[in-house]
Amino acid sequence: MATSSGKRSLKTFYYSWGILTVVGVLLAIWIPKRYMPHMMSNDGNLSVTTMILFSVLAAPVAAGVYAAAIHVLRHDRYKGDGVPPAAEQVRENTKLTVTWLTVSAVLTVFVLVWGLGALAAENSSSGNPLVVDVTGQQWVWTFAYPGTHVVSNELIVPDHREVEFRVTSVDVTHGFWVVNFGVQVDANPGTITTIHTTPDKLGTIEVRCEQFCGLNHAFMDAVGHVVTPSQFSAWLASQPARA
Amino acid sequence: MIRSRSLGVALASVLLGGGALALAGFALATATPHQTPLTCTPVSGKAHTCSVHLSTFPDSLEGVHGASGGPHPDWVTYSNDNVVVPAHETIDVTIDQYDTGGAANNPFFDNVIGTNGGFDTVNGVKTTHVGVNDIGHTFTIRGIPGNGKTLFVSIPLPANNSNKFPVKLGIGTYPKPIVVKFSFDTGGPTVYEFNCEFPCGGSRLGNGFGEAMSSYGYMSGTFTVQ
Amino acid sequence: MTTTLEHTETSAEPRGGGLARYQNFGTAVVAGVIFAWIGWFIARKLFWSSSDNFSDQVATMTAVGWMIGFWIGIGAFNAPFRWLLGNDNSRDDDLYYAGYKQGRARYWKYTTDHKVVGVQYIIVTMSLLGVGGILAMAIRTELIVPGTHFVNQQVYNSFIAIHGMVMILALIVAVAGPWGNFVMPIMVGARDMAFPRLNALSLWTLVSAAVLLVTVLAVGGLPVGWVVLGTIADQAGVGMDFFAMAIVVFTVSTTVASINLITTVITMRTKGMTLDRLPIFVWGTIITAVLALYAFPFFFVAELNQLLDRTASTSFYIAAGGGTSWLQANLFWLMGHPEVYVILIPAVAALFEISSTMARKPLFSYRTAVGAMVALSGLSALVWAHHMFTSGWAPTLGGPFMVTTELISIPTGIFFLVLVGTLWRGNVWMKLPTIWMFGFIFNFIIGGVTGIYLSDVPLDEQLHGTMFVTAHFHYIFVGSVLFGAIAALAYWFPKVTGRYLDERMGRYSFWLVFIGVQITFGAMFLSGLKGMPRRDASYSLAFEHTNFISTLGAYIIMSGMLVLLGAVITSWRRGEPSGPNPWHANTLEWQVPTPVPLENFLEEPVITQDPYHYGEELVGQ
Repeated sequence: MATSSGKRSLKTFYYSWGILTVVGVLLAIWIPKRYMPHMMSNDGNLSVTTMILFSVLAAPVAAGVYAAAIHVLRHDRYKGDGVPPAAEQVRENTKLTVTWLTVSAVLTVFVLVWGLGALAAENSSSGNPLVVDVTGQQWVWTFAYPGTHVVSNELIVPDHREVEFRVTSVDVTHGFWVVNFGVQVDANPGTITTIHTTPDKLGTIEVRCEQFCGLNHAFMDAVGHVVTPSQFSAWLASQPARA
Repeated sequence: MIRSRSLGVALASVLLGGGALALAGFALATATPHQTPLTCTPVSGKAHTCSVHLSTFPDSLEGVHGASGGPHPDWVTYSNDNVVVPAHETIDVTIDQYDTGGAANNPFFDNVIGTNGGFDTVNGVKTTHVGVNDIGHTFTIRGIPGNGKTLFVSIPLPANNSNKFPVKLGIGTYPKPIVVKFSFDTGGPTVYEFNCEFPCGGSRLGNGFGEAMSSYGYMSGTFTVQ
Repeated sequence: MTTTLEHTETSAEPRGGGLARYQNFGTAVVAGVIFAWIGWFIARKLFWSSSDNFSDQVATMTAVGWMIGFWIGIGAFNAPFRWLLGNDNSRDDDLYYAGYKQGRARYWKYTTDHKVVGVQYIIVTMSLLGVGGILAMAIRTELIVPGTHFVNQQVYNSFIAIHGMVMILALIVAVAGPWGNFVMPIMVGARDMAFPRLNALSLWTLVSAAVLLVTVLAVGGLPVGWVVLGTIADQAGVGMDFFAMAIVVFTVSTTVASINLITTVITMRTKGMTLDRLPIFVWGTIITAVLALYAFPFFFVAELNQLLDRTASTSFYIAAGGGTSWLQANLFWLMGHPEVYVILIPAVAALFEISSTMARKPLFSYRTAVGAMVALSGLSALVWAHHMFTSGWAPTLGGPFMVTTELISIPTGIFFLVLVGTLWRGNVWMKLPTIWMFGFIFNFIIGGVTGIYLSDVPLDEQLHGTMFVTAHFHYIFVGSVLFGAIAALAYWFPKVTGRYLDERMGRYSFWLVFIGVQITFGAMFLSGLKGMPRRDASYSLAFEHTNFISTLGAYIIMSGMLVLLGAVITSWRRGEPSGPNPWHANTLEWQVPTPVPLENFLEEPVITQDPYHYGEELVGQ
């Protein structure tokens, strides 16, 4: 309810902001965990954490804008007929603008620092990774293990050991994405791109192609497993030599 | 405008527009090519087994793309791209290979992968591997349905270098085929996609995966498990 | 100063015009087809049919023939040709070209009057949205259940590519085309644009390019995605050549339009209209035009290189020849990122204008708004590689591009401050434009925040190439830009037609589209989070529920847009009359009569204050 001039009740605004922030934070925590794939590597876990963190940070900002809009819709709508009269001719509110800019800059810097830190952590390598050569072609993935003669259409990797994927293509650009590891890199013809991660859970993993590659791009999936190191050695030994 | 007139126009817009779209959609669905499905024929004497017979041709003249070979008579093709098989059965596949070949772009596909027993028979002879420069096509089928069975089967189809052409099919003449047989098992209802992994299509840069290899209805298709 | 129109014409028929008297869209199409055939014929004789490039050379020449024929047929070369011959246009000719006394016929012709061009842009935008929308419905229908039941994968892949490009074209011109042309010159007090003939040229070139683009579907389609990465474009048929030519032609249109807009704003402002009295929509227009002038030539070069690779055996994008497809990706995105701001800024600027008028208050923090738009444009030139974080190109640049991309969120946030700040404590007039604006605010937050997720490189490694990206940019393009464009349409519709866009139908449309957007693209976010890649003709069972819901939402959006179409069609001739200034706004376009006379003003207006004074009498008008 507006008073005659000067301060008026901002209850709608603050209540809306509070409720929407709570709802937003709850959704921010629940949705990523509920919908993102079951993560089985350090990078995968990081992506879920980042999703949750950014959503939690965004919730009060979004809620603030929505709350202001709700407040306007509730209190500032002109309810008469005909043309509304002129409203109060405010052109600037330097304090508000500066506050807004500062808050958005602080949030941006925080998000940046988090991102840069995560990027640095991701890029650091243990120095002794298991190398897997990944070849994409229309429309199949094959995985070779250098140093052995094993080539497979299933991606088998041992647990708790950094794995480095060296990815290439023999025809067009594909996108090598291990869904449960949270890492992807394009497979380009004539060049090798690299990505690495460290699996930390046992189980089934899926590889999908995420760069459009033609007619059967939608069917370019591969399956795989994270197994214990002894199972991995046994598997390698049991494979026929194909390379 | 009065209220009911607005509502009327709004409804008319949706109905007329939606109707026009539905008509266009129907025309589209009927116009785009869908091959008649090839069903799996039960094999007498073997329980839970049925057989599928496919062929690979060096051109499109044997009739599956129309009597005159369709819009691309010179494109290589499978005989059928739309195969329907039953669930929880063993599928005995026979492929007649009529085409020449060369080297695949990935030697992994020179191997027999994922069949029952890990081998196939080429003209009756058990085989697990075909020579690097002797590949005609491959039959590579796979799917990760999210329910049902994850499948990956790949068969190299040896190149047919015969220079006699006694077989007549449609308006095409072909050599005596190389007959490749293998089996695999299906799980629950789903769709598996198969395609050739040998660069047998044209392309501007010669990597062999264009034209027939990139176009629906030639060197790729589906096995629908029902 | 008076116009020459004060010498009243006694004849009912227009005089002058020369060849243009017989030229219109129909003759342009006929001439285009004829010259396309000539191009095809010459190419088949000229080039070696055994070469790998032959079919592409023929297709390219055919497309060039179409382009030249269309320009000849519409009359684009008439005046330059006459100038070359020393037989310049007379005043009567110029009047003819401006559509004087031609009634409705002038909308089908090469008319130089900026208001006619504005209306033509409305029609072109709606047509492109219609074609793109039909394709969108085909796409969503295919995705309603897993498997490829409706169309096969090849057709589907072609549909997504053409849907993408057509919609991008539609949105680039959606606000800047109709309103940058119709409204902006009047807003600055000019009688027309700086280069009226170039104005007509930019519109008809767009039409020519759009026809080429849609023709792609008929010549084998473009089953290689709209980003046409260099490697896979090799496997595309002649559709790729038509596509590349359409883009080359289109970038000519945008370059010409940008030059026109910039020159008009800089040189043709009326007396007293200093830069800080400039309406915010004009600022948006000129900032957009500068950005477009910078960005679209990259697209031109990207597609020209592709054409050269395909017709002249160069190897810009071919690794085996020493090139790299990463060149194509970089050139494309050097255009592609500024382009999305070319799409966004006019919509936002229009909404700024609407918010001020509808709240009966000055625009909040005018200078900050201008600064934010300038900062946004400037930064947008520095962020392009965030589309390539996972391409494997220059992994060390991930950090720097993450920095520039996340910095963009600051000026974008200012847009909300200005919009809400303008509405706050206003007397908000809840008419159609205002309602769509509130929809924009809701959707743009979601679109903007989800962009921040994608700008974080480690998170992008999970989300890139999934439907999460698709949902993000659809919240921006459909949920925000389209809402802004419809608000602008509802706002300026009375200026063009003298009638209100039907309020009730507009509201039905709003609720259908708004709810439809939440359902379609909200569910699409979940599809993407779960791991569904984009551009998939079929998908795993894990994604069936969210896709089914998205498709239902799409049908709701379709219904809403059909209602809007019905509203536009019926209100154009039979809507409630509005008078010349229904919103009681202060910018110059509302101070002239409706329909706006040729050359806009009887007397050149003199400006003494900015247009954001409400409640005081306008001084000096």
